[in-house]
Amino acid sequence: MPSVLEPITIPKPTVRKETRSKNRFAPTYYVVCWNDPVNLMVYVTHVFMKLFGWERQKAEKHMMEVHEKGKSVLVREGAEKAEFYVHQLQNYKLQATMEPAE
Amino acid sequence: MKPVRKNKDGWQYHLNQGEGDCLRSLLQQFPISPNAHAKISKTDADPKTVEREKLLNESLAEHRKELKKQATNLLDPGKFKRGEKGYVLALNLEEREILLQILNDIRIGSWHVLGEPEELEPETAPQTEKEVVFYSLMNLAGYFEAAFLHASGGDPQSGHD
Repeated sequence: MPSVLEPITIPKPTVRKETRSKNRFAPTYYVVCWNDPVNLMVYVTHVFMKLFGWERQKAEKHMMEVHEKGKSVLVREGAEKAEFYVHQLQNYKLQATMEPAE
Repeated sequence: MKPVRKNKDGWQYHLNQGEGDCLRSLLQQFPISPNAHAKISKTDADPKTVEREKLLNESLAEHRKELKKQATNLLDPGKFKRGEKGYVLALNLEEREILLQILNDIRIGSWHVLGEPEELEPETAPQTEKEVVFYSLMNLAGYFEAAFLHASGGDPQSGHD
């Protein structure tokens, strides 16, 4: 049985750098909302606020971008989360896609 | 339509007789059109895109099945209560989102049936019975979407819309 005074060697923590570098090169996607003539502006603003937790001002800015420029990049995310947002937006019947971010 | 009560759980809306009958009739129309194929990307040529698109379309089909059930639930007399001066509809946050999705599905579905016109207000009056029906459904669904969003005034839990 070791004495209580016996020195203890604490192993140095190892830094796992590989996880970070792997994530850095994982592909990312833009979640894009496209214009159509039928979705109401007030509805589109509501959906953006609901799904992304944005303040009204930011949601309206993206809604106007969709309306005036034909599309708006809403967020840039990894594949899984981008896919999730596209599903959610399409559940609300907004035209949304995920496009590879270069 | 006006909200008569708002608390942390949601809203109670008062609809007059005409509005209530109209909304009930509208909800019974869901779904207007069959599932349309949805695209997940316009540019991605990655082989994974095919699988993702398949999953998206399966998920959307399931979601619409669920919306159909929810549309029936919303019409339940316990939910859509008839009173002396019309109806009272109580919705929590989740139910309001479902109602908005159903209404917008009806609006978009009607627009598809009409041939996806760029102009939503035709210069001439609708010519056929089909046009009369689907322009009416599209406009009524839009009216109720805007009315519910306006009447709700915001998320009862956060104070935001």
